[in-house]
Formats: sequence, C-alpha cells, structure tokens
Amino acid sequence: MAEELLKKVYQVHGRDFDKAGETATEIKKLLKDIGVDSGVVHRVVIIAFEAEMNVVMYAAEGTVTLVLTDEEINLEIVDKGPGIEDIEMALTEGFSTATDQMREMGFGFGMGLPNIRRNSDGFDIESKVGTGTTVSAMIRLDSSA
Amino acid sequence: MRACPTQAIRVKDGKAKVLPDLCIDCGLCLKACQSGAIQATTRSFAEIDKFRYKVAVPSPVLFGQFPISISPAHIVAGLKDLGFDAVWDFTVELALVNRAIRDYVEKWDGPHPLLSVSCPVIVRLVQVSYPAMIDQLVRIQTPRELAGRELKRRYSDELGIDPDEIAAIYITPCQAKTISILKPAEGAKSNLEGALGISDVYNDMLAVTHSLEDEETNVPSKSLVCSAEMLRWSISRGQGSILSRHRYMSVTGLSNVIQVFDDIEKGKLRNIEYLECDACWGGCIGGNLTVDNTYVTLSKVHRLISGLPDSDPELEAEVQKRYPNEDFSLKGQVRPRTAEKIVGSLKERVKRIKAEEVVIKALPGLDCGLCGAPTCKTFAKDVAEGNARQKECFFLSGECAKQLRKTYLRKKKKRSEGES
Repeated sequence: MAEELLKKVYQVHGRDFDKAGETATEIKKLLKDIGVDSGVVHRVVIIAFEAEMNVVMYAAEGTVTLVLTDEEINLEIVDKGPGIEDIEMALTEGFSTATDQMREMGFGFGMGLPNIRRNSDGFDIESKVGTGTTVSAMIRLDSSA
Repeated sequence: MRACPTQAIRVKDGKAKVLPDLCIDCGLCLKACQSGAIQATTRSFAEIDKFRYKVAVPSPVLFGQFPISISPAHIVAGLKDLGFDAVWDFTVELALVNRAIRDYVEKWDGPHPLLSVSCPVIVRLVQVSYPAMIDQLVRIQTPRELAGRELKRRYSDELGIDPDEIAAIYITPCQAKTISILKPAEGAKSNLEGALGISDVYNDMLAVTHSLEDEETNVPSKSLVCSAEMLRWSISRGQGSILSRHRYMSVTGLSNVIQVFDDIEKGKLRNIEYLECDACWGGCIGGNLTVDNTYVTLSKVHRLISGLPDSDPELEAEVQKRYPNEDFSLKGQVRPRTAEKIVGSLKERVKRIKAEEVVIKALPGLDCGLCGAPTCKTFAKDVAEGNARQKECFFLSGECAKQLRKTYLRKKKKRSEGES
C-alpha cells in the first residue's frame, strides 16, 4: 500500500463563476512547491479545473480532495448536485447539458469529463440523480505526459 | 523587492540580493529601485572599440524615441557619429521571421497556443514558472539574431575581413535583450556581440541629430525604415497583421501574461493558436532602457507607420530570394530551469511544505517585508528551507526591530550628512 504523504480538502461553491478556478490554481502552486514533475502537475491542474468547473456550473457545493502518496496523486471531487442521468453519454466528447448562458461564458463544450478521463491514469465516476456525483481520478507520479 | 513578479529578491542588512534561479531578467526591479542598487548590464563603448568594423543594429523602438522632426535618416547619421561604421536595417529579417512564424504556426500539430520568443523575459518566465509549456515556445530565431548572422556574412564578403573582426551591437530598449545576447536561454552562442541601451546613446545622439536637423544629410534617400512592417514590431499586436488569419492574441505587461499563462495551464484558453507576449506594457516601446514616455512613443510610431507603405517591392523581392535558402530554426534547446530547485526526496519535500504551513500560521500575514522577504508566504518558505530564521519576523521578536533600526536609521543619518 502506498504511503499517504499529504491530504488537502478544498471547498468549491456552486454558481460562483467569479472564483472558479481558484482551487486549481492553489493545487498547482502546492504541487509546484513540492517539486512534482511539471507534466504531472499540468495534468492534475487540468483535471482539477474541469472538475471544479463542473461543480460551479451544476452543483450547489462540493469538495475537491487531493491525496498525495509516494507513488500517485488522487483527486476526489464530491458534489451535492443534480446527479448525472446517463453517465455513458456524459463521457462522450461534445455532449453537454450546459445552458446558453454557460456557453457564452466560455464553458460547457462537453469536454469536461472526457478531459478528466483522458488526463488520468485511473478514473471512476459514480452518480445518483438528485443526490450528487463523485469523480475520482488518479495520476501516477512517474507518468510524464 | 515587492516589484519582483517571481519573488526573487531578499533584503538582508539593508542590501538587496537576487536569487538567480528565480530571476527572469524582467527588469521591473530596475524601474522600482530608486537608489540605483540594481543596474542594467550593457556594453561600454570601450569594449566595442576593439573590433575592426562596428555595426549598429537598432531596435525598431529607437525610431520612435526622438522628436518627430528628427527623421529615421537623421537617426542613422547620429548612430554613425557615435563611432559605428554602419547601421543595419533589419526590416528584411523581420519580414523573414514573420513568415517563418506563420509557416510554423500553420504546420504545428502539438499543444496550443504557441508562444512568441521575441521577448526574452517570456522565454525565461516559461523556463522558471511554466516548464510544462516549454514546447509551445516557437522555435524560430529572433530578427535581431538573424540580422547579426546576415550582416557578418555580408560585410565580411564585401570588405574582405574576418567575421570575428565585426561587432554587431544591438541598440536595445531593455536589459533583458542584452542578457539574452550575452547568455542565450537556448544555450547557443549569439550572433551579436552585445548591446547598448537606448538610454545609453540617447543624449549623444540627440545632440548630433539636432545639428543635422536643418541640413540635408548625405544618407541615401532609400534609407532605413521603408515599410510599416518594421515599426509595427516595436508595438504590441505587431504580428497581428501577418497572423490575422489564425487565431491570434496579444498580451503585454508581465502580470497580464502571468494571468493568461495560468489560464492556459488550466486548459481554459483552447481557441488561440498563437500568443504574442511582451513583458513590458505596450510592447518593446515600454522597455526599461527607453527614454520617452510609452504613450508618446506609441503615438509617434503610429504617425511614422501611417506615412509608410505597407510593403516595399524591393524588400519583398529580397524576402522572396532569401526565405527558401535560410535556416530560421532556433539553435540549441530551451530547457526548464525548475529542476535546479528540487532538493531532497518527495517525502522530505512534503515535510518541508508542512513545516512551511506551520510557520505561515504564526506570521501576521501583512506582507510588510521587514524580514527581507516580499511576502509572509515566501518568508515561511525561506524558513522551512533553512534560509531564514523565524525570529527575523518583526512581529515575533524584538531583536528584529533593533536590527532594523540599526541598519536603516544609521543609513539615513549617513545620507543626510553626505548631503550637507
């Protein structure tokens, strides 16, 4: 079992487009300070940003939990949102339920979840309509992009 | 100290120190420092004099620095009066580079956006803070470097002298370009021998050009600056005209560039193919070795541009002739500079971060700077890394206040004694 070195929990508030992206920025700074490989940081930041945006766009609130072990980085994003009806569909590139308003702001192109999956070495999603969604992504520390 | 965008400056015992690993040569400290503790690296006239044939390569910015009554031809005459044997017009090299960049953007199938490399500060910023984006730097030489190569080839042919006897001296709007000449980021050797700041030559040139103002100079009428393309390079959005068919964006000012780079890292900027970035606000006309106000210069450059044709047939023919036969690719490899900072195993590094967080909690969070670090966070980092002691914080120990009084009040006393 890999040894857990660091755990951080970040709160994300739904509908707060103004602050959207701050968690991703904080995670980036933290991992850079630790000296994690820049390719790995890059992927983690993309995942964190997309996940954070999903929470901001659809949910009331959520958390991003980062766990660093000596082998990998795990990100778990839990939200209290509407849940996803058809997960298969949501993982299709270009599929989006975003409103026009969200698109005008430059979001909701249906790339969020596919992007998260593409950038992770391990990916899992669980969702219950009316309750919320949990996305887990794992990135190995030795896997440069 | 606070002016530094990468937090590379610490003040200890009243003296500023720069941490070289973090410095990106942006020169913001030069502008901020009133006492002259930090100075730009440029060449002296004496160093240049040892060369047999001296060629000035003026940045396009130079032409916007003088009163509007002083024409580019006068400026050329002024440079020659300083002791230069020739003045090189790099309009052709500019056009060649513009074309090479356009082709590079068109062929590129890697991650976007591509980033301009003309501003050396941007290259160093990517090396230090955004190593994951290093492949996005356009691997095309800068016009000034191409000019150095071409002028040596040309003059050594024409005059029958060794290329090593020719000095190509860039007349630069900023110290960052000097450093990029003396120590290129890509590790190759520069084609230029050094640089003089515009502010180094301005006063002497102004005197000469004023005396020439009324007479007809013997500079041929087909002189420098015959098309708008060259002057556009000195201002922001200068490359827009050649890349307008592509998804192009221009950002100036280091803090703005950093903001945009942060967005790129998050994958937010998906639709831009080419990003022209300048560390100085407004582009190179805002460089820290320029003389005139950025806005005034901008207005003058626009006026000069409006009087010029968009392109010149002779120039166009030269570009057509040279483009297929020359190699424009950047020599050497730009590498990340963060690797130097990694000390200890992952476990030890995490331990250090945790120690840093403990220190932060004990600090006031005012970023007062009295400890010598620009922010409480950087101070905490210094403490965790063993480069500072926690009791150097003004709020945590009286010793610090005593020391500061000793250093700064005495300094002030000395200064006022010197004045009287």
